[in-house]
Amino acid sequence: MLYNLAQGPLVWVAFILFVAGSVYQVTRLLALTRKTEAHRWGRTPDAGPLSGTRPADGLSGRWTARLRLSIAGTQPLTIGVTVIFHTLLFLVPLFLLAHNILVDEAWGFSLFAVREKLSDYLTWLFLACALFFLLRRMLLARVRALSSFQDYYILFLAAAPFASGFLAYHQIFDYRMVITLHMLLGELMLVSIPFTRIAHMFLFFVLRFLVAHEYSLGSGRRVWR
Amino acid sequence: MLDRALTEVAASGKTTAVDTAEIKHMLDRHKAKIKISLRACVHCSLCAESCFLYTSHHRDPRYMPAYKFIHSTGLLYKKKGKVDRACLEKIRDIVWQDCVLCTRCYCICGIDIPGLISLARSICRSQGVYPDFTVSGER
Ligand code: HEM
Ligand code: SF4
Ligand code: SF4
Repeated sequence: MLYNLAQGPLVWVAFILFVAGSVYQVTRLLALTRKTEAHRWGRTPDAGPLSGTRPADGLSGRWTARLRLSIAGTQPLTIGVTVIFHTLLFLVPLFLLAHNILVDEAWGFSLFAVREKLSDYLTWLFLACALFFLLRRMLLARVRALSSFQDYYILFLAAAPFASGFLAYHQIFDYRMVITLHMLLGELMLVSIPFTRIAHMFLFFVLRFLVAHEYSLGSGRRVWR
Repeated sequence: MLDRALTEVAASGKTTAVDTAEIKHMLDRHKAKIKISLRACVHCSLCAESCFLYTSHHRDPRYMPAYKFIHSTGLLYKKKGKVDRACLEKIRDIVWQDCVLCTRCYCICGIDIPGLISLARSICRSQGVYPDFTVSGER
């Protein structure tokens, strides 16, 4: 019963809410930053505070200085883990054989799928990254000082579909129960994207690339109305 | 904190009631920016090292740029401006003592942290709450 609901109508409900919510969030964000201004800082980001070195140091000198002064330089481990975490978050479900078989059955086409063994290893890797973020949030005073319930919730939403998918694939516990849970968790994550802090997925690109500020990537000129 | 006690600044003279409507009005003018910034912050703490006050205060989390904007403008926004003078005085210490508004904070998500901190300064100032740097005996 719940199984049928989760694999049929709820997929559509989740998908429609996800698309509608995302379109709403992005259009609202663009409307709120519709006004544009000439560059406030009077220089391109290349010459901004991250350049931090003299022109005589040459191009490679400027780039190493830039990297060193950026967050990749101050927190290399976390940046490394977050890049792996976010990449796998998208790639593993998209190129999973089991998902692509379902897509093929439904629509007669599918993406390319990676070997199941590889998906399995990558799921392990993803869960390890999620564990890293969980421990970081629980143990480091600097992260704890900023944490709220929702931070744990979005981390859970990201990791739970992977963990339950892993259990289902290996048929650990009752398969039908686990796969139902897996579908429900995936749907919950999808609808949560536009309505929780996971919306950083859109906010990140608008705020870093389009809105004008000292550390803009690119030449954003939008300002808040 | 020892260094805090040493740099403690005297409160400003004004003791009249807080005009919460005026604070609300000031917040409303920047509502979109505040709301979206609070939403966009993933509470990752990666902005910490960009603030020299954080690194020079034994990495005390209270000096993290995110902590400062969340506990100043963020707090005012959550309370919809309904705060008392004691609360404004706490915010004053955050936005003047713990931050010098050097605008170097670097947020991975592109949040304009100095803009939000300076808004908290304007709001405090509008209520006559600001540090008094007068040398003792001068007034
Ligand atoms: C293209 C889309 C996305 C971009 C550009 C992006 C970018 C970022 C950035 C810059 C951070 C801060 C660095 C960090 O703490 O790791 C972050 C953190 C995070 N993201 Fe994303 N993100 C995206 C999509 C997602 C999605 C879809 C989810 C979840 C379903 C997600 C979950 C998280 C979580 C849980 C954290 C916090 C990690 C922590 O505890 O510090 N992200 N993201
Ligand atoms: S780097 Fe940005 S998103 Fe992360 S805690 Fe600091 S202000 Fe928030
Ligand atoms: S503006 Fe304030 S919070 Fe930002 S880096 Fe400077 S002192 Fe730190």
